[in-house]
Amino acid sequence: MQAYSSRQRIILSVVILLIGAAWTWGSRDTTGSNTGGEIPAPQVGFLAPDFTLQNEAGEFVSLSDFRGKAVLVNLWASWCTPCQREMPAMQSVYDQYKEQGFVVLAVNITSQDSRANAIAFAESLNLTFPILFDVNGEVALAYQMRAFPSSYFIGSDGIIQEVVIGGPMAEALLQVRAEQLLEGVE
Amino acid sequence: MLPIIQIGGAAIQTPGLILLAGIWIGLSVAEKYAKLYKIKADLLYNLSFSDLVAGILGARLSVMVRFPSAFIDNPSSIISLNPSLLDPVGGIAIALAAGLVYTQRKKMNLLKTLDALIPVLAVMGIAIPLANLASGNAFGAPTNLPWGIELWGAERHPSQIYQALAGIAILWLVWPTRQGKKNPAGLLFTNYIILTAGAILLLAAFRGDSVVIWNGWRSEQIVAWLILAFSLWGYSALLHPKKS
Repeated sequence: MQAYSSRQRIILSVVILLIGAAWTWGSRDTTGSNTGGEIPAPQVGFLAPDFTLQNEAGEFVSLSDFRGKAVLVNLWASWCTPCQREMPAMQSVYDQYKEQGFVVLAVNITSQDSRANAIAFAESLNLTFPILFDVNGEVALAYQMRAFPSSYFIGSDGIIQEVVIGGPMAEALLQVRAEQLLEGVE
Repeated sequence: MLPIIQIGGAAIQTPGLILLAGIWIGLSVAEKYAKLYKIKADLLYNLSFSDLVAGILGARLSVMVRFPSAFIDNPSSIISLNPSLLDPVGGIAIALAAGLVYTQRKKMNLLKTLDALIPVLAVMGIAIPLANLASGNAFGAPTNLPWGIELWGAERHPSQIYQALAGIAILWLVWPTRQGKKNPAGLLFTNYIILTAGAILLLAAFRGDSVVIWNGWRSEQIVAWLILAFSLWGYSALLHPKKS
């Protein structure tokens, strides 16, 4: 291990650090290689893919209608047990924070469920947040959904702040994220 | 990208599975070669296990301290399995503190213990990028190179694969049986830190999710450069200790 003298080792270290500093300077992100915020993608740091779906009353609701608010998009199905178990917690947190601008959009993936079952389930739990119906599975596709439930916490700027795949989400998690998202709501 | 493996009705989180496999493989290798560092294998296992438990508890505690009202309103959430309710920074801090206390109490030589734990760290240096590849995290910057991968709406550098390859090279270099028998305690650990900091410094340039702090400077490169400088000094100090 004594192949180099102390002096040679110091010179080598300085050279390594100078090369490292030059590389760091040369590889600065001056072109904005972090494309988050520009491209819609279901990933933290990216713009949440927009969608327009019908609610129970047949009215069209778009995600972009809620720009400026803190939004939780939850993709669910009535037959999915974790989805069923996290819904009461979502309702509780929605009740607690809706006046401050917290929105829950519960997107039923109707292409893998039935509208009647989804409505019956929502009524049985007295859910008051909007239930939207993804009849053709276009939202499931846009969000590259791989498991039920999938949840996306979206900031007031439309950027995804957190993705939670699977469930059920603990009520504390919902509360913590709602509070964090609302910090960005004016 | 494969964030979930669906087995029957169960959705298995692939990144978590890869990380668990990494810990298990790394720990098995570390235990096998612990005697090279004159550390008892069972002590090393107990240290790793208690550190892991302390890290998880610390990570949850850290979130509880930051958002006490959420847990006062929902006490059952304290034992929730949601990984999103874990704070990695708090977890690492508590795990380091717990590790220090354990080594002191068991009178383990800290530098030799760090050397003996290198297989765990080096295997995790491969497992973490693979877990990121499965989840789509730590993604690369857009590129036109032929080996770019389609991810998050663009052709991108496969930055996770670059990091995994660097991890394999580092594991090969720090493999316990490749080290000189007369190396001072702590030299292997310092070597590992130098190699890892160097790899981060080099490969962060290809990341598409860098935290840019000012005028395009990437924060991870700045931190890696500082760690590199400190560990190069440490390497020199271990090889040429000042005579008292």
